Amino acid sequence: MSEFKPKIVTFTCNWCSYAGADLAGVSRIQYPPNIRIIRLMCSGRLEPEIVVKSLLYGADGVLVLGCHIGDCHYIAGNHRTKKRIAILRKILSYLGIDPRRVRLDWVSAAEGDRFAQIVTEFTKEIRKLGPISKEVCS
Amino acid sequence: MIEEVRKLANEWLKTGKVDAILGLKEEDGHIAPHLFTKADELDSLVTSPKYPLLNTFRPLKRNILYLIQKNHRNAKIGVVARGCDERALIELAKRDQLNLEKIELIGVACTKDEAAACSCPKPYPRNIVVGEKVEGIPSDPDIEALLKKSLPERLAFWRYQLSKCIKCYGCRNACPLCLCQDCKLEQELWVKTGQLPPEIPIFHFIRFYHLADRCIECGECERACPVGIPLLTIYKLLRRDVKELFDYEAGVDVKQEAPLLTTLDETPMRSEE
Repeated sequence: MSEFKPKIVTFTCNWCSYAGADLAGVSRIQYPPNIRIIRLMCSGRLEPEIVVKSLLYGADGVLVLGCHIGDCHYIAGNHRTKKRIAILRKILSYLGIDPRRVRLDWVSAAEGDRFAQIVTEFTKEIRKLGPISKEVCS
Repeated sequence: MIEEVRKLANEWLKTGKVDAILGLKEEDGHIAPHLFTKADELDSLVTSPKYPLLNTFRPLKRNILYLIQKNHRNAKIGVVARGCDERALIELAKRDQLNLEKIELIGVACTKDEAAACSCPKPYPRNIVVGEKVEGIPSDPDIEALLKKSLPERLAFWRYQLSKCIKCYGCRNACPLCLCQDCKLEQELWVKTGQLPPEIPIFHFIRFYHLADRCIECGECERACPVGIPLLTIYKLLRRDVKELFDYEAGVDVKQEAPLLTTLDETPMRSEE
C-alpha cells in the first residue's frame, strides 16, 4: 500500500498568516506539501460550517491560522475565531469526529519559520491519526 | 393549579395590571398559543401539555411578543411562563427580540412528573407564582451514555440517529431561539433541496453550533422531532461546555452578553484542556 498522504486544508488570514506562509516560501523553508492554503481576509471570516464541510468532503485535517491575539487587522476578529473553534471542537468530539483534526494557531507575518513548524507538526499529527474515515465522508 | 393561574390572570386583566395575557389555549382538544384579552375567555387557558409558546413565527420571522410589541409599544403583556419559557424570554430580550420591561410573568413551577419527563435541570422560574418548586434533575442518562462511547461508536450512533431525519424542520420551527432572519438551513450552499436524509452531520451541526450559546434546554426540538433523534443530548453537553469555557449560562441574566458575540476582553475564555 502506498504511503498515506494527508490532505490538509489550511485557512489563513490575509494580513498575518498568509504573509507568514509567503515568508516561509520566500525564505525557502522546507515544509510538507500536504497543505492547501485558502486565504481569507480574516480568520474571523471562517464559518465553522466550512470546517465541517471540509472534513466531510475528504480533508484529513483543517488548519486555521490567524494573527496573534491583539494583532488582528480587524481588532478582534481572531477573538471570535478562538471561541468558535473551541465550540466547534467540542461538537466534533460529541459527533464522533476526532477534534485533533482541527487545529487553530497564530502566525504573524514575520514568522515564516513558525508557519513551517506548525505545518510540519500538524501534518505529522494527521499522519498519526490516519485518513479521515469513509464513515465521515458521505 | 390551573385554577390559580386562571384566577390570577382574571385579576390582572380586570385590574388593568396587564392589557393581555399570552398563554396556551385549549380548543376542541387542541393546544395553541393565544393572546387572552377578555376575562371570560380564561376558562380555556391551560398550562399543560407543554407547547412552544415563543418560537419564531416563520412567515414574519419574529416571535409573537415581538410582533405584538411592534404594533402596541406600550401594551403590558402578561405571560404564563414555566422555567424554560422564562429563560427563553430572557435570552430573546438579550437579543433584542422583545422588550422585557413591558412583560409581567405568571411563573408556573413544573410538577415532579413534568420535570422528570423533560429531565429538566431547572423546572421552575425565578419567581414562582403558582405551584411548588421541585428540584431539577442534574444528570441525564443519555449524556452519560454518549460520553462513555468511543469516537467511532459516537460516529456510528449519530450516523444512525441522523439518518432518520426527514428534514421536516420541526426542531428549528419549535425552537424559541432559532431566530435568524436568513436561516442557513434554507440555503442551497449548506442544505441541498431534495436530499434525504440531509447531509450528515452538516444539517444538524448548523443547529448545534448556532444554539451552543443560546440553548435554554426547553427540549422543544426533541419533542418536535417526529423520528425521535436525541438532539437535546448535544445541547445539554454544549450548555455545560459554554458554562465551563465562558462561565456563561443562556437565559439567566439579561445583562450578560452571549460569549460568541463578544471579544476575549469582554468575555474571557478558559483554556480548553
